[in-house]
Amino acid sequence: MPFIKRTATTPPKSKEDHGISAPETSGLQNPDPEVRWSTARTLGGVASAVPALAAALEKERTPRVREALMTALMRTGNNDSVLVLIPYLRSQDAGLRVAAIEALQALPEAIMPFMTQLLSDNDSDVRILATELARNMPAKEATRVLCNLLETESHSNVCGAAIEVLAEVGTRDALPTLKTCAERFSNIPFLSFAVATTIARIAGTES
Amino acid sequence: MAPPDGPESGAIHITQEDVRRLCEFLYRRTGMSFDDNKRYYIDRRVVERIAVTGSLSFQSYFALLRSDTEHEIEQLVNAFTVNETYFYREDHQLRCMTSHLLSDLLPRKQRGDSIRIWSIPCSTGEEPYSIALWLMENWREVDNHNIEIVASDIDTRALKAAAEGIYGARALMRLSSDVIDRYFARIEGGQVQIDPGLRESIQFTRANLIDAQDMARYRDFDIVFCRNVLIYFDDASRRAAAENLYDCLRPGGYICLGHSETMSRISPLFSVRRFPEAIVYQRPEAKHDES
Amino acid sequence: MKAENAAPPRILIVDDSSLIRLYCREVLERAGYEVEQAINGIEAMEKVLGQEFNLLIVDVNMPRMDGFSFLRALRESAHQAASVPALVMTTEAGQQDREDARAAGANFYLVKPVAEFELLRHVAILTGVPA
Repeated sequence: MPFIKRTATTPPKSKEDHGISAPETSGLQNPDPEVRWSTARTLGGVASAVPALAAALEKERTPRVREALMTALMRTGNNDSVLVLIPYLRSQDAGLRVAAIEALQALPEAIMPFMTQLLSDNDSDVRILATELARNMPAKEATRVLCNLLETESHSNVCGAAIEVLAEVGTRDALPTLKTCAERFSNIPFLSFAVATTIARIAGTES
Repeated sequence: MAPPDGPESGAIHITQEDVRRLCEFLYRRTGMSFDDNKRYYIDRRVVERIAVTGSLSFQSYFALLRSDTEHEIEQLVNAFTVNETYFYREDHQLRCMTSHLLSDLLPRKQRGDSIRIWSIPCSTGEEPYSIALWLMENWREVDNHNIEIVASDIDTRALKAAAEGIYGARALMRLSSDVIDRYFARIEGGQVQIDPGLRESIQFTRANLIDAQDMARYRDFDIVFCRNVLIYFDDASRRAAAENLYDCLRPGGYICLGHSETMSRISPLFSVRRFPEAIVYQRPEAKHDES
Repeated sequence: MKAENAAPPRILIVDDSSLIRLYCREVLERAGYEVEQAINGIEAMEKVLGQEFNLLIVDVNMPRMDGFSFLRALRESAHQAASVPALVMTTEAGQQDREDARAAGANFYLVKPVAEFELLRHVAILTGVPA
């Protein structure tokens, strides 16, 4: 048979043998992106590493390493991690914004205290991204924060984003707000459609 | 939609809108989509899960599903898919391996380098043994190369069973009697045991996909089969697993996921490669690594 | 121009918003087009590599692979789909965003929320077939 088996687990053949051992953060400063990448991946769930991850994230230009840094923060998922990730919602770089949202979406309890602030941010792009964060909240909470937003929001794409999330999580409590929206947006075809579809989803359930 | 008959009558009724909501959620989370002729099938499975979980309404079931309480997403997805393991399961990927992947990656290797293939999770061994059998039965060049097959799982009982290589008729249902005769010996209880040479030539190890330190022991794989496990991980764990798997692959190496899985719900690390038999994902070759 | 009995043009709508995808699907299918969907750039790539499309409608902000990354990867690939026309449909309205879209390989740019007639007019132009 052509199959061979080594008796010990194959030692790393590649020239960089980072011999990943106990979590420590100095590798995050290494000029070699492979070392930074390997180090980042050992720091998920290590609360004490959050400041080092934050510092590394600020300077990191290699996309793969950036993502690994964010994964590590996501896995730690505490209040400190959330504070590090939130500013990236404002990044000029679409990839970074989206990565930050992905990471924060995994942390619904940790992000809860920040929701009101994010949903009333001056930047409509931040408000749009923030509606996504309501998705993983309990339905009642999510409905409440999104309806509050809709009552006062004038930017049509922010409204669209909020309605999108309500289509998945909205409870019957959302119906009055949505009916008001139906009138407000009767002249914007997509929003009109979005509201009607979402009302149908919510009202169309029996239980 | 009529409620199901039987002792559970008066059971929860789900509406068209409920199904739309649920299908949209499943599509977003897993990539699975259901066209109209599959919708009835979904209704029944969902009604079953509502009953099994003791949910009092579709809404309360959906809340359970969204929060993935007690791995409900996994339970629901399992209700839609065949999740037993058997030899030559999803053999289109094995065919892809021998028809395309191997010839694609051989030119990148040095003379004398083994071809390294990893089955993780390997469960009770059907998958790694299937890889070996398929190669011997379908790859003309199989005797011209050294092939290392590593098989790993987090479950040591499964690993022990895999190393023993004893199977019943159900596991063998896709194998021809020729193949069974060639590689298995009949033992008591109507079962068979796979050839001892094969058992000895596969390296069985315990490994945890999410643990970077654990996974660092595995390097330079040409092909990884990681089927029907990532779909059940939460987002953070999926990403960690994908990052680890990337590192375990050689540049240009391939990863095959399960039939209802897609990297689009997991990680952007890999390039999409589409072959006639399957979509597989590739670690970018060296130099295209960093952008 | 296609012959009268030719199959309808096929459009891939790539957007992480289910309502946008649903809206576009309804508008376009009513107008006689065939529509497929994808939720981000990775799924879009999977679909594009396996099926022929006459037009891609691509959002920018999507999880895991954004619209510009997808278009760049597509344009750089050797695949026959590399030159399929792409309409970027996004919330961003700035000049820089338009330039970024063009640099990534978009052929056209629409700002959300997009009205039905506007969508259909651009789709007709880009597929070379009137609705």
